[in-house]
Amino acid sequence: MRAGRLRKAASRRNEGTMAKKKQRAKPPKKEPRVHQPDKALVYILGDSPIVEEYIALCSSHGYVVLYDLEEKGQTKQSFDPRLVRKSAKIPSNVSFALELTNIDLEKKRKNLEALDKALPVITAIVSSSVTVSATEQSLWINHKSRLVGFCALPTLSKTSLVEVAPTVFSPAETIQVVQRFFTSVGKEIELVQDRVGMVFPRIVCQIINEAAFALQEEIATPQDIDLAMKLGANYPLGPIEWADKLGMQQVYAVLSALHRDLGEGRYRISPLLRQMALSGTWWKRM
Amino acid sequence: MVKHLGIVGAGTMGAGIAQLAALAGIDVALYDINDTVLRQALERLKRSLNKAVEKGEVSAAQSTEAFTRIHPRTRLADLSHSEIVIEAVIEDVRIKKDLFKHLEAGTKPTAILATNTSSLSVTAIASATQRQEKIVGLHFLFPVESVKIVEVVRSERTTQETLDRCHSFLSQLGRTPITVADSPGYVINRIVHPFHSEALQILGEHIADAEQIDRIMKAEGGFTLGPFESLDAIGLDVSLNATKMLFEASSGDSRFRPHPIEKRMVDSGKLGKKSGQGFYSYEQEKK
Repeated sequence: MRAGRLRKAASRRNEGTMAKKKQRAKPPKKEPRVHQPDKALVYILGDSPIVEEYIALCSSHGYVVLYDLEEKGQTKQSFDPRLVRKSAKIPSNVSFALELTNIDLEKKRKNLEALDKALPVITAIVSSSVTVSATEQSLWINHKSRLVGFCALPTLSKTSLVEVAPTVFSPAETIQVVQRFFTSVGKEIELVQDRVGMVFPRIVCQIINEAAFALQEEIATPQDIDLAMKLGANYPLGPIEWADKLGMQQVYAVLSALHRDLGEGRYRISPLLRQMALSGTWWKRM
Repeated sequence: MVKHLGIVGAGTMGAGIAQLAALAGIDVALYDINDTVLRQALERLKRSLNKAVEKGEVSAAQSTEAFTRIHPRTRLADLSHSEIVIEAVIEDVRIKKDLFKHLEAGTKPTAILATNTSSLSVTAIASATQRQEKIVGLHFLFPVESVKIVEVVRSERTTQETLDRCHSFLSQLGRTPITVADSPGYVINRIVHPFHSEALQILGEHIADAEQIDRIMKAEGGFTLGPFESLDAIGLDVSLNATKMLFEASSGDSRFRPHPIEKRMVDSGKLGKKSGQGFYSYEQEKK
């Protein structure tokens, strides 16, 4: 029954809840709705290695990809130069833009402002909304109805499903465009409410946080914790392996966002985890 | 190599450990308070051993031989030969303390006395005896026959020698031992907790529904079961109880706070698979 009620809530969400309807009742007049990209040019910017992963994903599904990456300016892997090029300038014929920053939110804001300024109002922006809600991001730009949030963390581009979070400003057309984009790169979509941490990052980062508390209290060794969770609880990876895979700074960014957003003791961050994220030291060397 | 094992409590866990040990060639003295309980336990053990034969896990001869190694006992004094005694009685610290006093008096001074508690402090139980250095937690998980890992819980005074003996005993049983400190939930229950608890929190905030959360955790996270499928399988009452214990043992840390959704469902009798209804409906399966 709960599931039923929630499903109804989910379908209501697609149509727009009462509150959202109110907010959406008068769409800004000078804001034409976005249209579907015609499998052409995608512009990507944000954190490494998520940027590289999405370049690989888009270019392997027939898109031409332009990207920008601050870190030494180079991607770690090499791509087909006919399909993938670095370009600090954002050309106006881009049909779809991806913003993948989770860690430095000031940089994210600047990226989104630049995209909003350079791209025609009909171009949709999908932006990682793991560490700041998509609704909050849409308030940073002028054409707020073009932005839709989604879940981007390292290695998740390789999974079959993506969490997508429309904002209170997202019209159905924009959501459809974003859905079609993800379908075109071979992904299923799960529409979730636009909240910091989304679903998977919130759960897995809290698992890692708990493991960090246990480690800090010297309850067991990192190797034993991983082993215990895989053999004793059927986890596909141990918490320390998860942290390695996602990157400690990304994990720390998610946990910080949860703590900031929910302001509750249950989201306090293990001091050991914080120290490792800030210093770049690693569990296994301890 | 351990030759004689004592087990106190012939319930699901006690009998499971008895089977494991007997199959590993160890003589098991299986104690419980009366013949009726023991007879039922032996019947269950026979069925379980037969099942293992059907599945091809052990031969018929091994199964028969294992069964003859399990000796039902109704007097604690009959455990006196045991090198290790494992207690698997009700999770009540007073009952366990009392039992350990009796075990201390009735076993060799070299014998290790272990508790299979999953939620009580091993140090608190050990404090009832004068043999604290030989007292340890051996946290076997349910179902004993298929979970390959055992947490060896080091109390405040457990010695390294005791831990080493426990490790080699568990290797003898074909289990992987890990040593953990005596603290609420040890490692496994503690780090399983956020998988369920954070999912309940997300559900409670109406970010996604239970089916969506399960789909996301399986497809994005690679988990075999989603958190709600998992809660339905464990039983919501069992999970709620474990959470309450964790919450209490951590002196009310909000990370371990039981969720109102789970409480409400338990109150209403929606306990998961076993009751036909949890986060999902199992009515058809029941018929």
